[in-house]
Amino acid sequence: MPHEVIMPALGMAQDTGKIVGWLKQPGDAVKAGEALFEVETDKATMEVEAPADGFLTDVQAGDGEDVPVGNVIALISDTAEDSGSRVAPAPAAGDAASEDALPEGIGVIMPALGMAQDEGVIVAWHKAPGEAVASGDILFEVETDKATMEVEAGQDGFVAALLAEAGEAAPVGEVIAIISGEKPATPVQRSWADKAKAVPAAAPPPTEAEDKPAPPKAPAKPAAKATAPVSPGGRILASPKARRIALEEGLDLGRLVESGHPQPYHVADLEVLRNLPAEAAAPATATASSRRLTAEVPAEAFAAFCAWAAEDSGAPVDRPALLARFAAAALGRPDAGVAVESHGQTRTLPEDTDPVLILRDLAGSPLTSINLGAEDVPVLTLTGACDTLTITLECAPGQLSAPEALDLLAGFAGRMGEPLRHLL
Amino acid sequence: MADTKTNTEDYMRMYRQMVRIRVFEDNANQLYLSAKMPGLTHMYSGEEAVAVGICEALTDDDRITSTHRGHGHCVAKGADYKQMFCELLGKEEGYCRGKGGSMHIADQSHGNLGANAIVGGSMGIATGSALSSKLQGSDDVTVCFFGDGATAQGLLYEVMNMAALWHLPVIYACENNGYSEYTKTEEIAAGSITARAEAFGIEAFTVDGQDVLAVNDLTQKLVARARKGEGPFFVELLTYRYHGHHVGDINRAYYREKEEETIWKESRDPIVNFGKWLSEEGIASAEDLKTMEDEIRAEAKQAVDYALAAKYPDESEVDMHVFAPTDPATLRPGA
Amino acid sequence: MREITLSQAVNEAIAEEMRRDPTTFLIGEDVAEAGTPFKVLAGLADEFGTERVIDTPIAEPGFMGIAVGAALTGSRPIVDLMFGDFIYLIMDQLCNQAAKAYYMSGGKLNVPLVLRTNLGATRRSAAQHSQSLHALVAHIPGLKVAMPSSAYEAKGLMKTAIRDNNPVVIFEDKLMYNDKAPVPEEEYLIPFGEAHVKREGTDITLIATSSMVQVCEAAAEMLAAEGISAEVIDPRTIVPLDEATLIASAKKTSRVIVVDEGHQSYGITGEIAGRINEKAFYHLDAPVLRMGAMDVPVPFSPALEDITVPTPEGVAENARKLMSGEMIHAA
Repeated sequence: MPHEVIMPALGMAQDTGKIVGWLKQPGDAVKAGEALFEVETDKATMEVEAPADGFLTDVQAGDGEDVPVGNVIALISDTAEDSGSRVAPAPAAGDAASEDALPEGIGVIMPALGMAQDEGVIVAWHKAPGEAVASGDILFEVETDKATMEVEAGQDGFVAALLAEAGEAAPVGEVIAIISGEKPATPVQRSWADKAKAVPAAAPPPTEAEDKPAPPKAPAKPAAKATAPVSPGGRILASPKARRIALEEGLDLGRLVESGHPQPYHVADLEVLRNLPAEAAAPATATASSRRLTAEVPAEAFAAFCAWAAEDSGAPVDRPALLARFAAAALGRPDAGVAVESHGQTRTLPEDTDPVLILRDLAGSPLTSINLGAEDVPVLTLTGACDTLTITLECAPGQLSAPEALDLLAGFAGRMGEPLRHLL
Repeated sequence: MADTKTNTEDYMRMYRQMVRIRVFEDNANQLYLSAKMPGLTHMYSGEEAVAVGICEALTDDDRITSTHRGHGHCVAKGADYKQMFCELLGKEEGYCRGKGGSMHIADQSHGNLGANAIVGGSMGIATGSALSSKLQGSDDVTVCFFGDGATAQGLLYEVMNMAALWHLPVIYACENNGYSEYTKTEEIAAGSITARAEAFGIEAFTVDGQDVLAVNDLTQKLVARARKGEGPFFVELLTYRYHGHHVGDINRAYYREKEEETIWKESRDPIVNFGKWLSEEGIASAEDLKTMEDEIRAEAKQAVDYALAAKYPDESEVDMHVFAPTDPATLRPGA
Repeated sequence: MREITLSQAVNEAIAEEMRRDPTTFLIGEDVAEAGTPFKVLAGLADEFGTERVIDTPIAEPGFMGIAVGAALTGSRPIVDLMFGDFIYLIMDQLCNQAAKAYYMSGGKLNVPLVLRTNLGATRRSAAQHSQSLHALVAHIPGLKVAMPSSAYEAKGLMKTAIRDNNPVVIFEDKLMYNDKAPVPEEEYLIPFGEAHVKREGTDITLIATSSMVQVCEAAAEMLAAEGISAEVIDPRTIVPLDEATLIASAKKTSRVIVVDEGHQSYGITGEIAGRINEKAFYHLDAPVLRMGAMDVPVPFSPALEDITVPTPEGVAENARKLMSGEMIHAA
């Protein structure tokens, strides 16, 4: 039964020992207690004794070599022959995987398919492994939520590998085919489910066998991949940075909540928020959240004012312009742009401004009551003509607060009812 | 006659210093009782001969470490009234800019490395100070003041051991006033106090701490020997503190009898007895001494008034002096 | 550049400073004859004599107190505390006396003293010889604390410590004494309060002390292979702390893990994480994580000891979670 000869512990600060010289040769007979070799310590040279009677065999390190403390460096055996029981080196990383290596070539990836799609189902391949393919050829069809989409090969060459089968789903962005420049010797057809067996080039090598116990775990305990429950108080969970950026960009985290996007929100989730479709155009019926206010003023006041203005200036009255001015003034922003729609035409006054308000002048038309719902900006609509002018203000709650809406309508109606007074 | 004259000066100075300590403590006590002084302080009254007898044998280059009962050592080592009272009141002009207070008062210019609020806390410092003398090749001596209660601290034995091994010029002065806070010494110190030092091979002496001349005489001899490298030494001085452990310890009959206090005050007062001796020797008359006392009381009153009116340190000082500055020029290669 | 061990680097630093300033001296157990059990101080007694390399009895409070007294009176002691675990023994002299003398004296008495000691577990030395107690002293105003992470830092920080006019506690990792690093032949000092970015990155900041720097560098390598760019910063001194560099990095990457070998709770990591929380709050896209040694006394058995300290795998795993936005703790 062979005894191990071990590099002994040498001192608190020493991890390795340098063999100064062997005092016995492989095959020599030795007695227990006899000096086998000399090792250098930081104080002096120390002799290491044979642990048992026998023959020195299987010497692993020579003169001048550094050996880690604790390593076996030789055996004392019953016979003078090497038993050949050297410590086998740890298996080289990645050896076993050679037959699974992918052919060389350019990867074809599953393309992005639409905002909500993470993966696409391959309906059919149009080319087989080994076939020649031109860049513009259709390589495969993939199902999107709308229809089936054809995907081109994108490269000239040969199909070296197809990594998913028809009918399988593969994630967007993953390589699902490889096109090589040369005709492949062994073209590959795999199913996506087989992906786990393949050894991609970037995999880290397995750790080598060591004496140490199991690899240490991180002290922080990982939580399950939970998402935050929506808290009852309506609080939205988001990182400080995400909140700050949302604030700066005028993004509404509440829309992410409404769209069912799981909390907590990080900066990356703001991208989703930015790409949410803009709020739908006003539905046919006014939603409960739209504001609609009406006012009535005697029609003659404005008519009389227009007549006076025309006389005064000697030119025909520019009714839209006057209406725009009154509306802007009532909004408290005299220079703001107002889009005035009348007689089928829209003019923005002042020109070349973005309208903050729409004014539909339907006075004189048969229309009496308007309930169109909110649009992109608040809308003032004039209806009626003979005795009474009805002014309807419609807007979304986010566009004007209740006091603002009241001020706007009251201000506009006031100007329409007593134009001269307001001018003065 | 020259000798006598010199001695007269010395004696008068000793007397003066003892009176200065007594007067200082009287005033400090008053400041506490009249609620003008923040915190607590610990009166040295009754022990004057110990501090004065020893410090009169030292120069300004010699160093002392003190205890929580440190005013006596501070005055004896040359401190000035104004700066002391200012320190006790936490004023800017105090020795420590008001940041140390009574228990940490230090006067570096006169070699007082500081009072210490930790019992026995300065024994290491005193011994280290003596090591510095040895390393620097100077013959400066360090005296370590501590009380009988501090002999219970392990640090004492660690440093006496090393002081003895390395022949350091330090004198361990044990002010045995019979009480360790509120407990009699014999209940907290087993065996003999001097034997503790002798166990390390340190020569130990016992002396009447109320006799300033005896204290001074012994100290002079030991200091001279220490300067020659014959240290360390240990001295046990038998003395008595008139007041309680601290100024607030007023009702103390439960641990110390009034009778005992009276005996010490009346028959063993170091100042009174030394005064008598000076009269008997014809060195100073009772009137001379009285005059001196009055002068000192007046000086104290002036200093107290000054300190009461002096300003506190500015708030901006609160985070100053956490770290001492290091000249950046010294932190460059080649410096 | 030549490479020397951390042990040699410390030895060189002390030797150079003792040559430069005759008031410096070494004091501690087994420092002269033996050069300490770790052999770091070998040869110094030969050069400077036993007058200046002083062996003491096993009396830590005693020789620490003596060192304080020497420092107050014109000498500059370097105190060797054989194991960081013994710091409990000297707390009064270190924290009540040395740390406070300058302040309590109103700026008149300073203590230019270096306390040289160590930290670090996984040496099978069990609970009372394996602690990393730098947080205890970092908490005390008046003490400076340095933590070299390699031979290079060890030499530069030791020289600065010796020249500093305040009490400085230097913690070397006892596992690193034989680790080599490039160390210039020419003289250099490393200033206190200057962190060092060991590796630049953009996705996540790893702040690490002492040998945790190597742990985080290894983690960073692993993460780089996965496309995550980690920045590794070594504060080098805990007191004074180079906050500005740490905050700037936190703002740059928006994710931070602080890794230290003190215990997880009430340690360095909590302090640094707290400061980042205060000063980089609006730039954080993930909670600041603390990774310290487990809140257990260091176990003897190798199977248990090795799992009590942060590892590259553990750091990388946490980094991945922060990157993916996965919730480490329930919301």
